[in-house]
Amino acid sequence: MLDWIQANIPPWLPLLLVVHLVVLVTVAYLILLERKSASWMQDRLGPNRVGPYGLLQPLADGLKFFLKEDYRARSVDKVLFTLAPVIMIVVIIISIAVIPWGGIKGTTQTVDITNLWRDGHSLRAAVDTQAKTISADLPRFHELISDVTVQTVPAGAGLDSYPGQPTVVLELGNDLDPVPAIDLASGQRLYATFTTGWRFQIANLNIGVLFILATLSLAVYGVVIGGWASNNKYSFLGGLRATANMISYEVPMGLAIVTIVLMFGTLDLNQIVEKQAHYWGGWLPAWNVFAHPVTFLLFLVCIHAEANRAPFDTAEAEQELVGGYHTEYSSMRFALFFMAEYAGMVTTSALMVALFLGGWHFPGLGGPDAVNPAVTDSLSLCILRAVVYFAKTIFVLFLFMWVRWTLPRFRFDQILALAWRGLIPIALAILLSTALTIYFFGSSSAQFVSLRRLDGWMALVMFGVNVVVLGIVMYASTLLPIGPSINRRVRIPGSRYNTAALPKAPAAMPAAGSASS
Amino acid sequence: MKSTDVIEIAEPRMTLGDQFFLPQVLVGLGTTMKHMLRVWTGTDRVIQYPEERREDIPVVEGGMHRRSYRGVHRLNRDEEGRVKCVACFMCATACPAHCIHIEADESPWEDREKYPAKFDIDELRCIYCGMCEEACPVDAIELTSLYDIVGLTRQEMVFDKSKLLRVYDETQEVEPI
Repeated sequence: MLDWIQANIPPWLPLLLVVHLVVLVTVAYLILLERKSASWMQDRLGPNRVGPYGLLQPLADGLKFFLKEDYRARSVDKVLFTLAPVIMIVVIIISIAVIPWGGIKGTTQTVDITNLWRDGHSLRAAVDTQAKTISADLPRFHELISDVTVQTVPAGAGLDSYPGQPTVVLELGNDLDPVPAIDLASGQRLYATFTTGWRFQIANLNIGVLFILATLSLAVYGVVIGGWASNNKYSFLGGLRATANMISYEVPMGLAIVTIVLMFGTLDLNQIVEKQAHYWGGWLPAWNVFAHPVTFLLFLVCIHAEANRAPFDTAEAEQELVGGYHTEYSSMRFALFFMAEYAGMVTTSALMVALFLGGWHFPGLGGPDAVNPAVTDSLSLCILRAVVYFAKTIFVLFLFMWVRWTLPRFRFDQILALAWRGLIPIALAILLSTALTIYFFGSSSAQFVSLRRLDGWMALVMFGVNVVVLGIVMYASTLLPIGPSINRRVRIPGSRYNTAALPKAPAAMPAAGSASS
Repeated sequence: MKSTDVIEIAEPRMTLGDQFFLPQVLVGLGTTMKHMLRVWTGTDRVIQYPEERREDIPVVEGGMHRRSYRGVHRLNRDEEGRVKCVACFMCATACPAHCIHIEADESPWEDREKYPAKFDIDELRCIYCGMCEEACPVDAIELTSLYDIVGLTRQEMVFDKSKLLRVYDETQEVEPI
């Protein structure tokens, strides 16, 4: 039975089912957790009537949503009104696909390719031939998943005892890279190191970070279209605010991500996690949060804004916008919006865990290979890693709720001012300083040159640079000119604040500022 | 007005922590965590309502003070079990919500002239201010500590004389006149 499964079912299929089931159930329980933590912070107990400790409350909530009237006002745009929640939930659930839950289930093997190379093949051809031989022997759905490291080993030395650097690293299937010629002295052997197996991930994209960014920014279309289609000025304003929020906070968020990508030189979430799976000073996990605390904070603030949650939840501000973009929605349509909001939180939290909190890595969960700790032969270790990853995600999600029930909502102009006058300058300065750090220190760090990992010393430099840059930018921000006064009367033609006469009808509308002057 | 009557209040100066905002956010997070821990360690003051009731808790621990609570009305009886009310209309006059409706009749007993043939209180209209209790010259109408009264119709919530007397019968043990 197990053999049949391994031979006929691709590993991502059960993973897909499990992950989506877990995420959807998590979303339901996140709503319970939200209500619970809200009550705890307000000295209450929260829902505790349905099931023990209220654990069946999500079921009751779901049932209620199904039984509610699916009301749709006559004046709404029927197609877009239905489409909006669908876009949002689909896009957000898709984005979960690239989260690297548990590293790589597979083995790393080193094979002798000296003879192949001697047969007159070029190094690339020798490696490719070897790769073909190996993949012919692989079980179905297993594949060659790492780049190929080629090492020369002097005569008489065993590979294990030889601590040398890889002579050359070839990217699989990349024929464009120039391959350096290798001169083998007599007796020297040529070894190629491959990893075969499968990734504990639904979809293996080597641009995972980009994919999540792209899909998550599509999610705002759900909000905007929902607000527009509702034909309601409050909903419309909510949609507009969500757009402004997204446009402003996508920038520092992107810059924070670019900082990480700049260090690791990859957009593959799997590799980003892998490069954090070692230790500084022998004990401190090499998670980015320790080397880049300020970038971490920037990213944290940005995902709060991106998820449209307090203190950035102006798009659905109940007090001003009577619910914002989902005012007109009821029943399951509303539930979809609600679920999408929480599923979006799961995705962004998982992304943050991958980028800053070491993904699945936890002391003791690394594989046997120090160079590539993601690779492990044990499926149960992969599952354990997934559990750890999930636990970290839940912790970040709890942080979301903790913040929501602590901080009051920002005013709309404060949100935008925070992004453009606060976060973006800091993010830019940190990006620049990280680039400079890598330029000046990167070449002197052996670990960074060979594996593009931060070693302890470089991490310390990064940490110092982070703190210093934050201080400098904060000091510099006091020298910035004060922004325009808020709540000023804007002179719009035809507005009651505009004392100037309206222009004649056929004349072109003057710009807002020039009308009064 | 003297100059000392005017208190000038200046906006409090922002500390460094206020200006950087983030330290104050952490302080806020600490405050909410403190409240959360209070619930987690069970030192909260939540009363699980239908199972635990304020009546059963000592007043100093946040329980209900029965003597001063203003709940559903009752009509008291005298020693012979007759309704104490003499239909003087003081309560109906004092009532700001106009929820007391009395029809007086000649008393069948020797010691008083009138008694209420009908005595209706609309418990939905009542604002439970206790003015009727204050106004009553013979301590016939009183507010009990009952608060969880329900009815399926509005008519059901109009308590008549027999019902108000029954409230007395049921509450006289715990709340003597």
